[in-house]
Parts: sequence; structure tokens; C-alpha cells
Amino acid sequence: MSFFEGHNFFGESTAHLARLINNINTGIWEYNTTTKKAKWSDGFYAILGYQPGEIECSYHNFFENILYYHDKQTFLKATHYAGTGPVPIAQIRLLTKKHGYQWFESSALKHDDDDGQFIYGVLNNINKYKLAEFTAAKTDFLSAETGRMARIGGWEIDVASMSLNLSREIYNIYELYGDIKLTLDEARSFFEPAYRPMLTKAIEDAIKYCKPYDLEVLFKTAKNNIIWVRVKGIPIIDDFGKCITIRGVFQDIDVIKRNGISMQSSINLLDDQNKRLQNFAYIVSHNLRSHAGNLKFMVNLFEETKAENDKEEIFSHIKTISESLSATMGHLDEIVKIQSEISKERKSVSFETIFNNVIATLRANIKASNAQINANFSEVPEISYIPAYLESIFQNLLTNAIKYKHPDREPVINCYTKTDEKHIYLVFEDNGMGIDMKRFGDQLFGMYRTFHQNKDAKGIGLFITRNQVEALGGNIAVDSTVNIGTKFTVRLV
Amino acid sequence: MSVERQNVTACIIDDDDIFIYGFKKFIEIRGVFAEILHFSNGQEAIDYLKNPFYADNLPDIIFVDINMPVMDGWEFTRKFEEIKSRMGKKICVYAISSSVDINDINRAKNNPVIEDYILKPISETYIADIINSCQISPGFSNMN
Repeated sequence: MSFFEGHNFFGESTAHLARLINNINTGIWEYNTTTKKAKWSDGFYAILGYQPGEIECSYHNFFENILYYHDKQTFLKATHYAGTGPVPIAQIRLLTKKHGYQWFESSALKHDDDDGQFIYGVLNNINKYKLAEFTAAKTDFLSAETGRMARIGGWEIDVASMSLNLSREIYNIYELYGDIKLTLDEARSFFEPAYRPMLTKAIEDAIKYCKPYDLEVLFKTAKNNIIWVRVKGIPIIDDFGKCITIRGVFQDIDVIKRNGISMQSSINLLDDQNKRLQNFAYIVSHNLRSHAGNLKFMVNLFEETKAENDKEEIFSHIKTISESLSATMGHLDEIVKIQSEISKERKSVSFETIFNNVIATLRANIKASNAQINANFSEVPEISYIPAYLESIFQNLLTNAIKYKHPDREPVINCYTKTDEKHIYLVFEDNGMGIDMKRFGDQLFGMYRTFHQNKDAKGIGLFITRNQVEALGGNIAVDSTVNIGTKFTVRLV
Repeated sequence: MSVERQNVTACIIDDDDIFIYGFKKFIEIRGVFAEILHFSNGQEAIDYLKNPFYADNLPDIIFVDINMPVMDGWEFTRKFEEIKSRMGKKICVYAISSSVDINDINRAKNNPVIEDYILKPISETYIADIINSCQISPGFSNMN
């Protein structure tokens, strides 16, 4: 005989049903609310770990001794459910014989009968699933917390539909809160424009060639904060080796990246300073050596020469060398001074005042060359700077502009300040002979580097200017065309 | 048998007037009978070497300074390499400088045009040796 004959149990004998009820691994109970009598199936005892009849079968025993006190409300609510629709299921803890409290699922149904009002119920042990659920919830919590602390989230792209799935933490990094789901294009639009093609290509390559990627890119959040993020993607392939999913992580690495960048710039700065110091040492050695060498040379000649007029000439050279040595020592002093003056206090200085001072000292040169000097410091009239440096910068750049004037025309020099919010610039433009940047650009600020056949050229001015500017954290850019002129743009701060 | 004295012509390219003066004087005093050409930068020297008017008076040895205005020693060696084959004689080039910068020294060593890098102050005997070794005429050994 089949259970399913007629699709219900109406045709079954009572004995058959009783066997069924007692043998299945589920607790079945019945409670007559009128007589207060309870009936428990064998399975009821069994799931609690008892032999049938081993404990008192009563509602009181169940409610007071077996049901965990904390779950009484839950049980009552589900059992005396008065509404329509499906019977609610309660999850409750019951005391078992050997394993303490375990999780059960309880459902009940009211039924009115001629013999009174009955409640029928079913109990199932769900302890295993419940514990697994707790473990999973704990793991979820832990991973969400880890993600939150590390500012890292996971994502997936389904290649067939090109649909995107982002974890909660990614939305947090996007600074998108609430019920939002981004498409792939939308998610991509948060990346800074310069990095979008790189990202698109990485996704394409992952799909086409199963190539993983790991990028550090700039990203603008929904609240317009620009941050560095790391996007790492790994293609997941099907049995045929075709990429079906790209799975990856997305991390806010702003703090790390910015530290790294500032560290790198410190390293570059130190590197530059080191190179300059070494260069300086070579230059000092070069200059002292050439003077010393000449001196020795001349002294030897002086001893070997017999002719009186030759001796005179040699001695005049020795005098020149002695003067050159003093001049070189003076240059060295100036360079050493740059480093010692750096600790001096910056003062608010007026460009106009410094300019006028320098013009006054250079008056003779300016007059002799008939130079026309146009100055305009209205955009930035003042700056906090070391006055002596600013004066020296003006002096060197003006002297240069006059010294290297074009032979065919009178010098016109434009000198002005400008700013771009972040920095203050001092600009010198001349119409002089210009310099071949391709040939000499990299040596322009070198010490004792001279480029024109000019007897006054010492190759010290620009070297000092650059050192002063850089000592205060600025830089100098040069643009020059032979026979047209030169433009120095000094970023002061 | 009469021996025609064949002088070595040396060429010095340096912007340091005192060094050039001393160099010439030294050659004169030591009696190394060499003719001296001098130029104060690489450009002047290249102009001279290229000029067919001076084709009969080319130097045998060139001493070139590294650090000079207008055209420095490095650019000179590049320009010289381009015209070397047209010179019709072998010309040895020596770099001569006060620079102890290892970059300069290595650069000179790796430059096939430069025979040697001579550090200033110059060793007088070494210069004399170089000039003498270039004097290959049969009468050389009789010279003092």
C-alpha cells in the first residue's frame, strides 16, 4: 500500500498512522487545551535523548523544565498564532538529556474538535544548522570587520552579462550609502579620467587573455574625495579555459600611497642634495687643482727660465693665479654661506624694494648697455623669503640678462611675479643672445660652466642662484631660443 | 747623409691662457722641437682642422681640455671623429683636465678617439714622452 494513494492519509488505518508518527525522527505532540492533557510521540522523546515514557509527558514539564526560559515568549507566540496564512515557525532551545540545550524548530496548529480544543505541533532538531549559521555569521562579521579596518572589499564581474557585484565595504569606500547598486560603467566612472583607459584595458585583457591585474589608481568618491585605491582582479575560468568571472579586491590605499609618495619625494630630494654635494666636491677639487697645477707649472718655469723678460711675464701669471685662487675661495665661501643662511629667518619682503636696491647697484651696467627694464610685481607684491637670497637672485638674473645681451640690439628685460594659488613665481624674460638648450641645457646651472665666448663669464652666478632657490624648496625652469632670448621662471615657494 | 729634421706639431685646445702659456714655454725650454698650435675652445680647433688652407699644417697630437665654453672637449671629440678620415694623417688625441670626477675619467676611457686622459697638473716627462714618441723620422735619435 502506498502512502500517496489518493494523495492523502484518509485511507490509512490508525495503527499505520501511529507507527508512522512514532518512527519518524521528529517530535510530534498534541495538547488538549480543555483537559490540559498532552501526548508526545516516541520521536519526541527520542529527539530529546530519552526513551519513550522516561520523563513526564506534560505541558508543565515541557514548558517549565525543557523549554529554555528565554525562548518561552517565542514559543507561545508561534503556538497561539491567531492570524491566517502559513503557520509560523519558532526556533527554540530545549534541554536534552545528554547534550544540554539544543536548537529546535517548532511549528504548531490549532484545531477545534468535539472533544475540545487541540494544538498539534512538530519539533525538529536544527542544532547543527543553527550552529553553522552562528559560525557563518561570526565569520561574516569578522570578515566585514576586517574589510572595514583594512578598507578593503571584494567584487565580481560576471563576464556573460558584464554585471558587477560589489561588497558592502566597496560601497563604503565609494562613500555611497543606502540601497544602491552600481553597474560596471557607473563603477568605472568614479575612477579619475586618466586611469579609466588603463582599467578598461585591464578588464578586457582579463577576459580576452585571462591576464590578472593589480593596479594603483586615483579615484574620486561620491563625496568628491580623491584617494588612491588598489584594484586587483583575477580571471576565473571555466572547464574550457575561458574567463567567465573576474573576481577581485578593491582597497583604499590612500594613506599608504601618500606616505610612499612623500617618502619617495624625500628620497629624491636627498638624492638631489647628495648629487649636488658630490658635484660640488668635484668642482672644488677641479678648480683648486687647476690653479694649483698652474702655480706649480709657473714656479717650475720661473726657476728654469734664464731670460729676464720671461721671468717677468711668468711672475705676472703667478700673480693672476693667486688672484684666481682668492676668487675661487670667495665663491666657495658664498656657496657655504647659502647653507648657513638657510636657517636664518624668513621675512616679508617687497619685490619692489629688493628690485630697486639691485637696480641701484647695477646702475653703471644698465646705463652702459642701455638696457630697458620693465618690472611689474602687482600680482604678488610681497613674499616671505630670506632677503639676501632674493637680492642675490635678482642680481644674478639681471646681470646675466645684461651680460648676455644680443650684439645687434639693446637689452629689453621683463621682470614680474605671478602665482597659481599654490606657488609664487618670479619671471625674467630677456631678448638676449639666448642659449642652445639642446647642447647646454643640462649644464646651465653647473658651477664654472660657461657657454659663450665672454671674458666676464665666470660660471658662478646661476650655480649660486639655483642653490639658493632650491635651498628654500623652490626650483628654476629655463626656456631659451638662440638669438631670440631667454626666460627664467623661478618658483620661489 | 743630411737628415731633415721633422718636427712634431702639437695642438693644445684649452680656455686657460696661463696653462697655454706655460705649456708653450715648457716645450720651448725643454727643447722639444715641436710647433704648437693653440685654440681656446673646440669650435676654433674644428674650424682650423676643416679648413683646406691649413691642410699642410695639421697637428700630430691634440691635447684637448674637457671643460671649455662654446664647444667642450666631449663635443670636440665627436666632431673630430666625423672629420678624422679626411685628415690624411694620423692624429692622436689626448684629453687633459683637472677633473677628478670618475664620470669624466670613465667617459674618456670609453671614448675611442681619446688615447689617454691626462690629469692636470701635467707630468712634464709624460708630455715629453708623448711628443717624442710621435717623432718617427730617422733623424730623431740624433736630436737632443
